[in-house]
Amino acid sequence: MDMKPDFERLRKAANHEEPDRVPLCEALIDYAIQSQFLGRTVTSDDLESQVTFWAEAGYDYLPLTVGMMQPGKVTRDSAISKVIREVMLRDSPDADREEAWNLELTSFIETREDFEKFPWDVAAELDFSAIEKAAALLPDGMKVIALSGKIFTLTWMLMGFNHFSMSLILDESLVADVFRKVAEIQFKGLERILKMPYVGAIWVVDDLAFGTGPMISPQAFRDHVFPWYREMAKRCHEKDLLFLMHSDGDLNPLMEDIIGMGVDILQPIDPSCMDIVDVKKHYGEKLCIAGNVSNELLRSGTVQEVEQRAKELLSKVAPGGGYCMGSGNSVPDWARYENYMTMRRMTLEYGTYPISL
Amino acid sequence: MNSNLENIKHAVVAGQHADIEQMVQKAIDEGDKLNEVINEALIGAMDIVGEKFAANEIYVPEMLVSAMTMKKGLELIKPLLTDEEAEYRGTIMMGTVKGDLHDIGKNLVLMMLEGAGFEAVDLGVDLSVEKVVEEVEKRKPQVLGLSALLTTTMPEMRKVIENLEERGLRDTVKVMVGGAPVDAAFAEQIGADGYGKDAAEAVQLAKRFAGA
Repeated sequence: MDMKPDFERLRKAANHEEPDRVPLCEALIDYAIQSQFLGRTVTSDDLESQVTFWAEAGYDYLPLTVGMMQPGKVTRDSAISKVIREVMLRDSPDADREEAWNLELTSFIETREDFEKFPWDVAAELDFSAIEKAAALLPDGMKVIALSGKIFTLTWMLMGFNHFSMSLILDESLVADVFRKVAEIQFKGLERILKMPYVGAIWVVDDLAFGTGPMISPQAFRDHVFPWYREMAKRCHEKDLLFLMHSDGDLNPLMEDIIGMGVDILQPIDPSCMDIVDVKKHYGEKLCIAGNVSNELLRSGTVQEVEQRAKELLSKVAPGGGYCMGSGNSVPDWARYENYMTMRRMTLEYGTYPISL
Repeated sequence: MNSNLENIKHAVVAGQHADIEQMVQKAIDEGDKLNEVINEALIGAMDIVGEKFAANEIYVPEMLVSAMTMKKGLELIKPLLTDEEAEYRGTIMMGTVKGDLHDIGKNLVLMMLEGAGFEAVDLGVDLSVEKVVEEVEKRKPQVLGLSALLTTTMPEMRKVIENLEERGLRDTVKVMVGGAPVDAAFAEQIGADGYGKDAAEAVQLAKRFAGA
């Protein structure tokens, strides 16, 4: 088995062709799993070890977050948390209290006045140091995928979900303006990323749906969110980059929109509410799909169960191309290491085209 | 149902928050029975809203605006009710378990229950087992709802149920569970009384448990 990274492998899968083998695909693998794989501690600032992990584990790219939610989720050190703590709460005695800065617990834009005084300029100062540093570390054939463009989630988090939802109906222009500001910042980052020749794709990680369906109406997505993604996909394709999207939840009512926007690869086809065989059947000729190995299976399943699930996906979804193997969300620290390794091993052993399972 | 009640019901379903007070006032002025305005028009409308939400005909924003509309109508009637009429249909308490900060689903259920005439108590997020049990002992709800979005926090639900048993409170309260990683099998496994796959189903379950 050729373990050398080859971004063309992912590109072929995205183009519905059969590459040499089924690509492996994750947006996030916890550093604890990476550490166990390499036999040494991997940290968020140890880019060299991260490159080594993703290359040696069989991935064709290095995922790096660039954007307001850097490094990828809401933590004390997220770019947006720093803006809130160091600018908005600078003079507040509560600046260090998580309840005061964590966007999962609080919100900042309820009124037009809040919108006007939000420090957008500071929020627009994105950090490109990791992605620039990665250029010199990538082995031949490997590219960076920039995780960016979190437009929907950031907007509702800044407004608070309930307030965002109500405002979508009661004060739509305010919501549209927050979307626009967030998108403009993400696009500013995108402009710079698109000039980096070692970046092979943009990956929008933005949950759009609950397990029961879209978080807002498909029409509201069409009015406020999807035009930004469509433009993002267009700019990627102009530069010959792929455009990937991650969203949890039941996306069935949004599938035609997602395809119409120009998404090349959709991940993870949430196994708790979507039938990936059905998705392949209906949309497989228009869209490459990735993931679907349930995180619950990775947490609590046996090695045999993971083997069986991986075989099912390889035999039912991979033939003809247009599929990448991966988890049903991401690989967190609570996934059993041997289960993650089994999913990976099965892909390397049985994912060679033509699939013969 | 007369035209006043029909209009109120339609206004709540459609989220016509700017018109509702005028419509309810008209019903009051024209002598419509207050309990009919509440139960048939306002609460009846929220039942329809719940069904539409479950069928993906409307989404969270529309549901929230309907609930706000219903609440505005209800606020107008509340001061006119006798003590007996103003009584809640029951108390339902909900919270997100320890280690979990997610609350969108929980908040939706609470809002729907409040709309249905229950005292809906929000215990918050990241709740310790002790805190939940203490609140159950203190407020004696008919139903306790536990929510979790993370697989890692699901075991906390079992701990709450075990603790309720140890404290002799288990038979005093129905426990329902929900959240993305939870399913009916898990609910049964940990000894919960029920599982709601979404906000609308959780509301139906809570109403059934509370005998409403």
